[in-house]
Amino acid sequence: MFRYNLELALRGLRGFPKSTVLVVLTVALGLSACMTTLALLHVLSADPLPGRSEHLYLAWVDTVLAKPFNYQSLNGVTQANYRRIKLADAQALLAAHRAVRQAVVADMAADEISADGKHAQRSQLILATSADFVPMFGVALRYGRNWTAAEDAAHAPVVLIDTELAQKLFGTVNAVGRRVRLRNTLFQVVGVIAPYAPQPHFYGLDSGVFSSDGGENLYLPYTAALDAGLSPRRADGCDASYKTASRLGLSDPTHCASLGFWVQLDTPQQVAAYRSYLTHYVEQQKALSGFGKPATSQLFSVAQWLKLQHVVPDSVRLNVGLAGAFLLLCMLNVAGLLAARFLHRSGETGIRRALGAPRRAVFQQYLLEAAAVSMLGGVLALPLTLLGLWILRRQGSDFSGLARLDPLMFGGLFAMALLVGVLVGLLPAWRASAVEPALQVKSA
Amino acid sequence: MHPIISALKHHKTAVILMVLEIALTCAIVSNAIFIIGDRLAAMHVQTGVADNELVWARSSGLDQGASAASATSRAQADLAALRTMPGVTSAVMVNSLPLSNMNSWGACVQHRPGHTKDQVCNVIFYAGTQGTVKTLGIKLVQGRDFLPQEYVNYFPFDNMQAPPAVMVTRSLANRLWPGKDPLGQPLFLGDKAGDVTHVVGVVGHLVNPSINKYNGVERNLLLPVTAAAVRGGMYALRTAPGARDATLRDLPKVLDGVDSRRIITERHSYAQTVKDYFHDDRALIWLLLLVIGCLLALSALGVVGLSSFWVQQRTHQIGIRRAIGATRRDIMLYFQTENFLIVSGGIALGSLCAVVLNLFLMKHYELPRLPLSYLPIGALVLWALGQLAVLGPALRAAAVPPVVATRSV
Repeated sequence: MFRYNLELALRGLRGFPKSTVLVVLTVALGLSACMTTLALLHVLSADPLPGRSEHLYLAWVDTVLAKPFNYQSLNGVTQANYRRIKLADAQALLAAHRAVRQAVVADMAADEISADGKHAQRSQLILATSADFVPMFGVALRYGRNWTAAEDAAHAPVVLIDTELAQKLFGTVNAVGRRVRLRNTLFQVVGVIAPYAPQPHFYGLDSGVFSSDGGENLYLPYTAALDAGLSPRRADGCDASYKTASRLGLSDPTHCASLGFWVQLDTPQQVAAYRSYLTHYVEQQKALSGFGKPATSQLFSVAQWLKLQHVVPDSVRLNVGLAGAFLLLCMLNVAGLLAARFLHRSGETGIRRALGAPRRAVFQQYLLEAAAVSMLGGVLALPLTLLGLWILRRQGSDFSGLARLDPLMFGGLFAMALLVGVLVGLLPAWRASAVEPALQVKSA
Repeated sequence: MHPIISALKHHKTAVILMVLEIALTCAIVSNAIFIIGDRLAAMHVQTGVADNELVWARSSGLDQGASAASATSRAQADLAALRTMPGVTSAVMVNSLPLSNMNSWGACVQHRPGHTKDQVCNVIFYAGTQGTVKTLGIKLVQGRDFLPQEYVNYFPFDNMQAPPAVMVTRSLANRLWPGKDPLGQPLFLGDKAGDVTHVVGVVGHLVNPSINKYNGVERNLLLPVTAAAVRGGMYALRTAPGARDATLRDLPKVLDGVDSRRIITERHSYAQTVKDYFHDDRALIWLLLLVIGCLLALSALGVVGLSSFWVQQRTHQIGIRRAIGATRRDIMLYFQTENFLIVSGGIALGSLCAVVLNLFLMKHYELPRLPLSYLPIGALVLWALGQLAVLGPALRAAAVPPVVATRSV
């Protein structure tokens, strides 16, 4: 029965070539617009480190010795707060070692110059961190070794660089043992890693959320970085007593909250224990009471953190909505065309019914026809979607370069085509199968 | 009118689908037209400087750790070299330019030192060396240009003595001293008595480095400073009308001739800078135009498809009507009226949806309220579209000969 209905459905497609082409084109346009925007949204809201990010948490304690800044007073400006902490707290939390792993994270900018002074990369983004960063964030080491906690403590001038930087500075991928100058300090390359740029750049949102051309290319112990005179780019707030000659560039981690602190916690028990440890830690900070601040500590999972910081741009969601409305319109259009076409064959339907076909069989025939048209539209939508993504990649905003169609979205396209076909076919098929056989046979 | 409505009752499915389609199109098209209008208005802002005669460049790598005196003398050497270029009428250093989206300095200004109650915040500071007003082509509406002795080494974010004179835009003047003459008014650039300066001129129009809701469009003032104070700034060159592109091309050679250790990080014609500033807006407008085009085309196709079907289905009835005396005009009018009714239903529903959609967009995407005057525009477009689309099928219907009535049955 199913095969017979399928055959009738396909015959129906061929019976109205003009209307079939129109319907297929309409479905293809709607589907490709929708899939293009969905693919971008999917890429942007993807897990930055699948398999790892669910164990990573951003820990924050508010120990800045200043009154809570009243952001509203500045004409309604709300400034981004990246929940960073001061150096003393970072060191205390590192030393306490209450999590499975923990790492200090701070983006800095520096010129990277090879020891012989012949090759230089100007104003590059580098990451000052601690020894656990590499195992914690799943950085792949190609050559050499990671630095150790002991080297962190000893302020050892060592760095990890990625293969691209190694190639640019030293002309070879294996640059272990070479030296690179940052400011006036020479750092020894102890390891070379594969280029590492999770999207979004969740541990340093301050330095750009998405980047098509990679993130940091050099990693070094934060202790040695501070010794070399490098400093974090910005801070979330500074002690009230901290005054410098300049009111700009307040990011010295000794007085300003400018270091991110990430921990790895594998079980819910560990998360709860760490949460209470943080609460306890911040309650012990007696000095805070003078500033009328409640003791505040927070622990964010990666997903919570990305949501809090509005990582996915509004415009991307808006475009999905727009494309969704467009698809809906296409569907209404197609439903109308299909209804016209099915009712046009009322005579045929009447004869089938009069010869004993149940209403269900007629319904199935028309639904199959709708699904077939829609699947054809899906096939045509694939190249159109790829074209749409190509256009998107050429838009030149910081995230559009990431627009790609992955296998999941590829499957999603066809699932959606089928769903659209069934939805679009339901009403016309029901309407067509409801015709009175007697009436049709008489008039035909 | 009545027979048309009762005829429509026999095609509920198709009519409902068509009304929904028109409604959705109406809702999206009126909002899209509104957003396009809003963006176009934003793009028509007057920068307040000579857009087509300016060239600017930034260089880096020289000023790290330099003293104020050496930074000044180096900048002066650069500017002197730039001024000798053919076609360049003047050259200055400024911290930022309107719509350049870079190195924007903002702070609060106060009427009385330390009084934060009536201070005005998020005021943009432009700082420029001698000749800035003439070079950029800023037009004063009141007061005078800065005097040579008024240019001082002042960086707003260091504790330094403020310059004696300042210019404000008319928009900032109205905000600070509504209804009063701004000339000669004291203004405090910080919260100490030493931060005082006085207004010597009022600028008609000067747009901020970027337009946003915090800093507004023209809430800025202009400070007379020496080159050392213009940190992270740029060289701005005024060229003769035809010499802009040649100047832009030769600029690196001239600067490298003064000192080749620098890296010229950016050089652009100012007209290009303004164009780049609105890149996203233009992209959005094109996207929306594409969406509008697709939606209208789709709706038109839908109308054509359904109307043709109806004409085909009613051939026999049309024949009978013709046989008992209806003219071709009557038949055409019938289909046109029918289409008008359906589209009107769609527009009524669509206008409601348009307002709801706009409320949603206002809530989530900081869009202004949709003026109700946009709804008739959408309605007119859709009525016209519907009539155009139905014309073909209606003509075909009118061509049905009365003799059809005598056939079959």
